[in-house]
Amino acid sequence: MATTAQISITSADLMPGSALNITASTTLTKAGVTADLDQKESGVIKLVSGTEYRLGPLATEMAGDAHDIASYLYVHNKTTEDATYYVDWGIHETMIGRLYAGDWMFIPWNASDDGAEIEIEPQGGTNIIEYCLFNSDVILPSAAA
Amino acid sequence: MATINANATISSDIASYPVTISGEMTMTKSANPSVGLEETTGLRTKKFTTTTAAVIVEHDELTDDKAHKVYIRNASGSRANFFYVAYNASAAAAAEAETIGKLYGGDWMLMPYNGNVNITVASSTATETQYLEYMVFADGIEAAKG
Repeated sequence: MATTAQISITSADLMPGSALNITASTTLTKAGVTADLDQKESGVIKLVSGTEYRLGPLATEMAGDAHDIASYLYVHNKTTEDATYYVDWGIHETMIGRLYAGDWMFIPWNASDDGAEIEIEPQGGTNIIEYCLFNSDVILPSAAA
Repeated sequence: MATINANATISSDIASYPVTISGEMTMTKSANPSVGLEETTGLRTKKFTTTTAAVIVEHDELTDDKAHKVYIRNASGSRANFFYVAYNASAAAAAEAETIGKLYGGDWMLMPYNGNVNITVASSTATETQYLEYMVFADGIEAAKG
């Protein structure tokens, strides 16, 4: 039950005379061990601008010591609009970067506590994102009695 | 103008049906998505022998509120050790604001970065040497002032 993540970054003209060719691959495992991650959640969602959304679970929705949970998040902005459309992403209420149309990101996520949630805020209009979260210890909400 | 292509392939058999995610992007400027990024801080490799937090990206070298991209890889081999990676002026730790995640041996990340706060890392171990590779693809570098 393995999940591998590979990247290549290439450019022939960013540094003329020294072509850039970065490649890397990693197998996503549970925190601190070599056992594979064994859960994931994914989706494609339309997000209306002007609202901050939480992406993925809270730390308290995952079992064990949240500090020791290894999670990895892939997000791809599938919007095809102009540069006024982007998705701010961040941790809690601190925005870290902008995911413009066509951009993707892949990060490890700490999930240290409920104040370390992944937040996204679309700008410019409705943005469409594809996401996939790989983790190991999500707890489903209890069903209502 | 340069052309920088970044492709990700994530393959998983967690589910009973195989999943393959392919992401392709050309890094472009925030003001014009048809113009490629053309500046970089270069690819750096840094050795860490202590757990003291260190700044690897100084935000004041970059233009604020832009479409920078940051690539970071833990070039060490151990899955027992990691680097905290944080969006913070000087710290990186478990519950520090805003620690993004833990980059275990072999792990890599690529994230959009607005250039408003430093990127800081801290090794989880002082007994084993760890190596970090990192590179900023910049949407505006502020020239150093004399």
